[in-house]
Amino acid sequence: MADPSVATPEGRSVIHDLGYRPYTGPRLGSGPIARALVGTGFRNTFGLGRSGRSKVLPFLLLGLNLLPAFIVGGVMVLVGLDELPIAFAEYASTTQVLLGIFVASQAPVLFSRDLRHGTISLYLARPLRSDTYALARWSSLLGATLLFLVLPVLVLYTVALLGEMDVSDQTADAAVAIGLAALLALSLTGVAGLIASWSTRRGFAVAATIALLLIGNGIVTAIQEIAREEGQPQVGEVAGLFSPYSLYRGLMASWTDVETATPPTSTAMEVTYLVVFLALSAACLGGLVWRYRRVATA
Amino acid sequence: MGPRLARVVPVVHTERLTKDYGPVLALDSLTLDIGPGITGLVGANGAGKSTLIKVLLGLVPATGGRAEVLGHDIGSDGAAIRAAVGYLPEHDCLPPDVSASDFVVHLATMSGLPRVAARERAAEVLRHVGLAEERYRPMGGYSTGMKQKAKLAQALAHDPSLVLLDEPTNGLDPAARDEMLGLVQRIGRDFGIAVIVTSHLLGELERVSDHVVVLDGGRLLRASRTDDFLDATGVLIVEVIGQDAQQRMADALTGVGVMTIPRGSVLTVDAAGSPDLHDLIRDTATDLGVGLVRLHADHRRIEDVFADAEETSDG
Repeated sequence: MADPSVATPEGRSVIHDLGYRPYTGPRLGSGPIARALVGTGFRNTFGLGRSGRSKVLPFLLLGLNLLPAFIVGGVMVLVGLDELPIAFAEYASTTQVLLGIFVASQAPVLFSRDLRHGTISLYLARPLRSDTYALARWSSLLGATLLFLVLPVLVLYTVALLGEMDVSDQTADAAVAIGLAALLALSLTGVAGLIASWSTRRGFAVAATIALLLIGNGIVTAIQEIAREEGQPQVGEVAGLFSPYSLYRGLMASWTDVETATPPTSTAMEVTYLVVFLALSAACLGGLVWRYRRVATA
Repeated sequence: MGPRLARVVPVVHTERLTKDYGPVLALDSLTLDIGPGITGLVGANGAGKSTLIKVLLGLVPATGGRAEVLGHDIGSDGAAIRAAVGYLPEHDCLPPDVSASDFVVHLATMSGLPRVAARERAAEVLRHVGLAEERYRPMGGYSTGMKQKAKLAQALAHDPSLVLLDEPTNGLDPAARDEMLGLVQRIGRDFGIAVIVTSHLLGELERVSDHVVVLDGGRLLRASRTDDFLDATGVLIVEVIGQDAQQRMADALTGVGVMTIPRGSVLTVDAAGSPDLHDLIRDTATDLGVGLVRLHADHRRIEDVFADAEETSDG
């Protein structure tokens, strides 16, 4: 037997089992835990921290969404236009299909996966309450959707400033566009999140969300065009209340110079558009909180 | 809260704890104390094991009575309980496209550990449960045994004072089952973490737990040290080999005034009140020239507690 007091012989290493060591460091409260969950969720929405394959779709959509903005930038530099060919706020309306697919496909990453794989019970057995969990997941999706909406506006804004356009005009227009983007992001996050939280199947959630957002918008748009053709714009105004995209278009027409089929014509209608926009978002968030409270006590 | 507080206050204390789901009374006025060490929680499906765990985690509000976990009230201090308790659920809970390493780090941060500490702890607990290189692979490709280890690792990630293990050996093959039971024992004995472990296989709980709590219909059937369940019944088991050995042994013992009852391939002897019976049986076997294979006290099994309870309720 080797003498245990002798040091490890030369050229030979030994693995020492240190045994179990208790953790004596700091333990953070709900605030920092929730922030960590929001951050991780935000990264996961773009496939970061997940498999390589899951990065393809979000980054492809983000790239496609930015492509027109960069093309506009290139054209501005080459041709030298004195105003942007597309208004800041109009951009999101133009790329709404990409936006819809992004939100519909990434909401299940945050809301369906934990339910489907049962991971939710591991979260619920930890300090965060189910309400905070729901709010954190919602914040991650809101952040990702905002990034998706705001990035092209920032690209266009930079292009406009490089093209030496009037700084105060452009800044005001961009600010209105970002305000509208925030409203759209709030409502899309709510709708997509709520659907995903009721579906443990990713495919179903994606299909249902796309159907609701894009087909719903298609129907509203058709009604609005017909209403205008038939000289019944108030029908179109009311129809515009029934889809996040048409709510966005209505307020865009009211707050910017962009023209749409049947914009809200009275102040009362404008306020109604805004209230419905916010109420839809709040109702969906409330539904999410309620949903996870039920999961926790099931 | 010091992680070793478990040594001084009862780990779990309930008083007339009741959970009424309306049509089902899941917990019926349950009064119970669980101390440190390893406690086996036994009961048939629907006996209230899962409900008790959910109520103790502060997830489901009790409809009556009160309970404390590690000195925290379940009604008002659920977050503090959940920060100090680790939980291994019975059902699947692992996302298939995430590696065990990333998963345990994430869940450690969800228990309040700072990022760097979470990484260190994750590496350490994954080593303790025995997940080596495979910790970097997505968990979807894991065997059931590896999955259970990953589930155990996340329950230990934040160095809890108590772990609730719901059927940790479910679905494991015998080798993996032994390994898991060994881990449960190490957690309770070497890591100094109180363990509450449920199983429908009573033999497993006999092996690893210091205490056994038996639930039936939401009520406490029995709670005592595992030793007490297995106390000697006053009966000796005798097994002999050789030509016609069992019959000859029985006859010889009857000849010296010891009554035997055959039970399968062994003989049982009622040894109550005869302290030197061991020597007599050994000498009888020697005289007959048969091989004495075993001679020991007949221990009860936990199953017998259920048999006793059924007899009581039938009678």
